[in-house]
Amino acid sequence: MIRGLAALVLGLTALGLLLGAAGFGLPQSEILWQLRLPRTVLAGLVGAGLGLSGAVLQGGLRNRLADPGLLGIGGGAALGAVVAFYWGLSARFAPALPLGGLAGAGLACAALFALAGRAPSAPSLILAGVALSALASALLALALALAPNPFALAEITFWLMGGLQDRSLDHLALAAPPILLGLILLLRLGPGLDALALGEDVAQSLGRPVGRTLLWAAIGSALAVGAGTAVAGSIGFVGLVVPHLLRPQLGERPAGLLPAAALAGAALLLGADLLARAAPLLLPLSQEPPLGVLTALLGAPFLVRIARQVAP
Amino acid sequence: MIGRLLAALLFCHGAQAAGVVSLNLCTDQYLVQLAPEQVAALSPLARDPSLSVVAAEAARLPWVRADAEAVLKLAPDWVLAADWGAQTTLQALERRGVRVVRSALPEDFPAIRVETLRLARLLGVEARGVALLAQMDATLAQVVPGPALAATVLEPRGYTAGAGSLADSVLRAAGLRNAGMGRRQDLETLLAHPPALLVMTDAPAYPSLATDFLRHPALARLPTRHLPPASLVCGGPWSADAVRALAP
Repeated sequence: MIRGLAALVLGLTALGLLLGAAGFGLPQSEILWQLRLPRTVLAGLVGAGLGLSGAVLQGGLRNRLADPGLLGIGGGAALGAVVAFYWGLSARFAPALPLGGLAGAGLACAALFALAGRAPSAPSLILAGVALSALASALLALALALAPNPFALAEITFWLMGGLQDRSLDHLALAAPPILLGLILLLRLGPGLDALALGEDVAQSLGRPVGRTLLWAAIGSALAVGAGTAVAGSIGFVGLVVPHLLRPQLGERPAGLLPAAALAGAALLLGADLLARAAPLLLPLSQEPPLGVLTALLGAPFLVRIARQVAP
Repeated sequence: MIGRLLAALLFCHGAQAAGVVSLNLCTDQYLVQLAPEQVAALSPLARDPSLSVVAAEAARLPWVRADAEAVLKLAPDWVLAADWGAQTTLQALERRGVRVVRSALPEDFPAIRVETLRLARLLGVEARGVALLAQMDATLAQVVPGPALAATVLEPRGYTAGAGSLADSVLRAAGLRNAGMGRRQDLETLLAHPPALLVMTDAPAYPSLATDFLRHPALARLPTRHLPPASLVCGGPWSADAVRALAP
């Protein structure tokens, strides 16, 4: 399974280097290295971060509906990045952009745990997430409306729906280290999540207290989702869909799911980004569809299905 | 008592210094160049040096939002605006009996001549209009066109200047051929089929994704001519300076 997914990610990465607005095939070196490479690698990294943090959050909160986008962590990250970007912080100090995303995602995680508690019921978790998402997107629109910038209103689309068009190697250099660090932290949480699945008391007696597992889950998610959102905007539903696609093959044990979730998230976002790139070549579109729209078209029906299963 | 107070308040508002209010960035620039002494208020955009060629003068003049109440409070003699934007505000002003003059915002040099003279006459400063046009024609006359290179004007978010736009008129006056189609251009297509010359206005000072596009490292290799940020925003006698900056 892992091998298959890894091969899929490699295949999609190769396709990502071969497909672009200039057509299909190996392009001139500038297009390859400065446009297609950062875009493709970012799609893989951002997707891996979203997929893995979805799997970790679903395990940690023992709730099938957990997803960084749905729970407002992506929204918080976008808000933090918007503040860093439009208020000129990232122009003076480039790493302020991922740091802003990180701070926003971290605050959203903290607020979520405070609102929903340690093992929230599905409705209370989702309601807390809806409240946080609404607050984050309202503050984001407010921050952009107050920014001294005639383009700001048009750019709300990017921050709310995501995209990877025309990202550069600079974006990759800014986002890759925190995302990779977040992925490593999250991948190490397997035993803690497995213990947690047996109950809080059992986890405690196994030397893996709930509080510590959730704290590291929040830090890892904030790193992976926060830095990813800072360069790619909010992209929803990847973290929700990926664990559900994998469970029938890999079983319910959270630890068994984690590496596969990272790879499947990468594959899913690489595929969605390829679709976004191919759309203007195949259809009479004047621009690419936003990446977050494609993942939402895929993910929203999934959410409906899961909600039906969860509802009493 | 209250009635008298109200009357006093209304009288105060009516008694404020009158003049012309401009509610559009482009008409702001005409108004300041033709008759700065008649300005009752400009749009807030006129003070932005990345959008307006009269930002320094406008910073010393009052400004008003496109809001009927705020404009009525100034009791202007008349209001200058464009054919588009803030139309509900303009209709509200006209219902209150305020005269509104709409400018068609010229995009080429013949239209700039016509509009400059029309606005100068309306403002009662015809000689000033004639002088501005003479200055414009003198600048244009200095331009010696070089080889007709294919040039693309790249705007924020990757839009290019299409036929009939101000940038297109400026390119042609500078002897260049406009290779842009007015469509949005992605970086990949631009690098795959690069023009002989890329023309960009210097990105404004505030950060945005739209202007970040123009700073993408992949564009650095293409031959590029930079224009001052406000030079292609509005067509007017000042557009001759952009032509001179582009000529070889």
